[in-house]
Amino acid sequence: MNELLLLIGYSAPVGLAAVGETVSQKSGVINIGLEGAMLCSAFVSMLVCHATGNAALGVAAGMLTGCAISLVFGVFTVILGGDQVVVGTAINLFSLGLTGTLFRSIFGQSGQLISVSKIPNWHGLDPLLAFLLVSLPLVTWLLTRTKWGLAVRSAGEYPKATVAAGYSVLGLRLEALTLGGVFAGLAGTYLSLGITGTFAENMTAGRGFVAIAMVTFGRWKPSLAFASALLIGFAESLQFRFQSYGWKVPYQLMIALPYVIALLVLVIVGKGAASPQALGQPYRREN
Amino acid sequence: MRSSMKLQYLIPLALILAGCGSKDQVASTPDSTTAPSSAKKVLKVALLTPGPVSDAGWSALAYEGLQGIKQDLGAEVSQQEATDAKIKDAMRTYAQKDYDLVFGHGFEYNKPGVELAKDFPKTVFISSSGGETAPNAGAFRFYLEQSCYLAGYVAGKLSKTGAVGSVAVQNYPSIVSTLKAYEAGARAANPKIKIIPTSYFGTEGDVAKAKQATESVLGQGADFVIHQANAAAQGVFEACKEKHAFAFGTNANQNDNPSGIVIASAVIVAKPAFLELAKKVQDGTYKGEVSLFGMDKGAIDFVFNPKLSTQVPADVQKAVDDLKAKIKSGALVVPKDNF
Repeated sequence: MNELLLLIGYSAPVGLAAVGETVSQKSGVINIGLEGAMLCSAFVSMLVCHATGNAALGVAAGMLTGCAISLVFGVFTVILGGDQVVVGTAINLFSLGLTGTLFRSIFGQSGQLISVSKIPNWHGLDPLLAFLLVSLPLVTWLLTRTKWGLAVRSAGEYPKATVAAGYSVLGLRLEALTLGGVFAGLAGTYLSLGITGTFAENMTAGRGFVAIAMVTFGRWKPSLAFASALLIGFAESLQFRFQSYGWKVPYQLMIALPYVIALLVLVIVGKGAASPQALGQPYRREN
Repeated sequence: MRSSMKLQYLIPLALILAGCGSKDQVASTPDSTTAPSSAKKVLKVALLTPGPVSDAGWSALAYEGLQGIKQDLGAEVSQQEATDAKIKDAMRTYAQKDYDLVFGHGFEYNKPGVELAKDFPKTVFISSSGGETAPNAGAFRFYLEQSCYLAGYVAGKLSKTGAVGSVAVQNYPSIVSTLKAYEAGARAANPKIKIIPTSYFGTEGDVAKAKQATESVLGQGADFVIHQANAAAQGVFEACKEKHAFAFGTNANQNDNPSGIVIASAVIVAKPAFLELAKKVQDGTYKGEVSLFGMDKGAIDFVFNPKLSTQVPADVQKAVDDLKAKIKSGALVVPKDNF
């Protein structure tokens, strides 16, 4: 049981981000800036927790940061119709620079190893993990069983029909991005306040991109996306174990193991396209 | 239509901003041109680091060395992160801007420096560790193996589980060499000690993975861990704290880490080494060489955490002091890899 919770804990940053990204992608927006949103949230939540000593305030601040960064992405891609890959990349680079610069200006050029109070847990289960587990059926229900979910999915499949039904595509996409931002914020926060209790430059180390891959891997279903994140997390914990057993395999190969598994599974199960039809396409109103 | 209107305003604005920027740069250079012969020419020194200088460890200590050069020699300094293919570009750019000395903080900067040295004879390229030289390029190496050996010795003496381990970011030759010295020290203290293989986590700054890697080492029974995790070191310390194990600080003195489980640190005192090399370059006496900075020159130290002194019996403390003296006098030569 404890082992399982530990595994869920280490997979939670990718898992949370992937669940949120599923919602964004269902509405037709690939949030490439996910990595940046996570990094900013990790930094802000650590900073707030460092200043106030209150982990709950840190979580709230991290969540808001995730929303804010995702909305910036939304303004450029959804409202202004910019290219999602280009805007996302810009946000990621900007976030890396911004958090690094602020970190150095606050904690000194040569840095500090910071330790802040972490989110309290009960036998390894903490509120954010509980939220993640509860969110799986909730998000699935929201997407498949509610009017809003249907509208969001239609915005991702065939936006013209959404407009004909009297909905605003831009509004729906921004709402989906905001919800995705909440999850991205919590994902980053979990990295800094849930697992490590610290911050280091670029501490997300590509988890945002892994989360985006997990959405495809999970066939745009929140629970499957989370399950894929767990699988990757399991492969990761396995490779660390192999390393400390002293197996004479280059460790770089072992570090690549999770991704090899992901590819293999995708080749086996990945038949038939399940992606939203209008994914990645900016919607422009017709006059 | 509307967006092109906005662009019309944006472009001049961008030009104005760019203009401001370049004016500042011009304003800062005249120091070196207006005072030609009266004072010595201002030394220009650049530093390339493999990671952010905010890592409170390897890159941070080089940055402090650079600041020392700025303060003591009045040099004009610049620092940049550069890895892989960017290394040569960054070095070339500095050389073209007439920098007198370009430090590359790591093994991987040695070869590019030696190769560029031919094209830029007026610039000296020095890397931290590495073995190749040219008339105006070389390397200097901190003999960190010496204090890692002592860390291993302490771990070997104090381990209750009879197993010690290590966590590192990548298997760079310089890192592997320090970990080997740690293992040699542990074996010297206790020939039966079990050495858990090093767990590498791969990405600079990935604190969560550093913690996970440490947990797997601790899971194999280790109760003392040394790290070469740079900016991700806090992950190592957190894992040790949760599992009631001890860790060693490396590169910088990390004894006062909030985790409270850093029993001692293997420390590099970088400033004297950087200053010595910069002075040689300033005087024009630098010749391509590989110089070693160890305990005898005060560049390497091993410091116990005073707050955890109750954990270290007096005889172990004394044994470490004796070993230190032997290392300083040259009676004990700590093994190090050549690369």
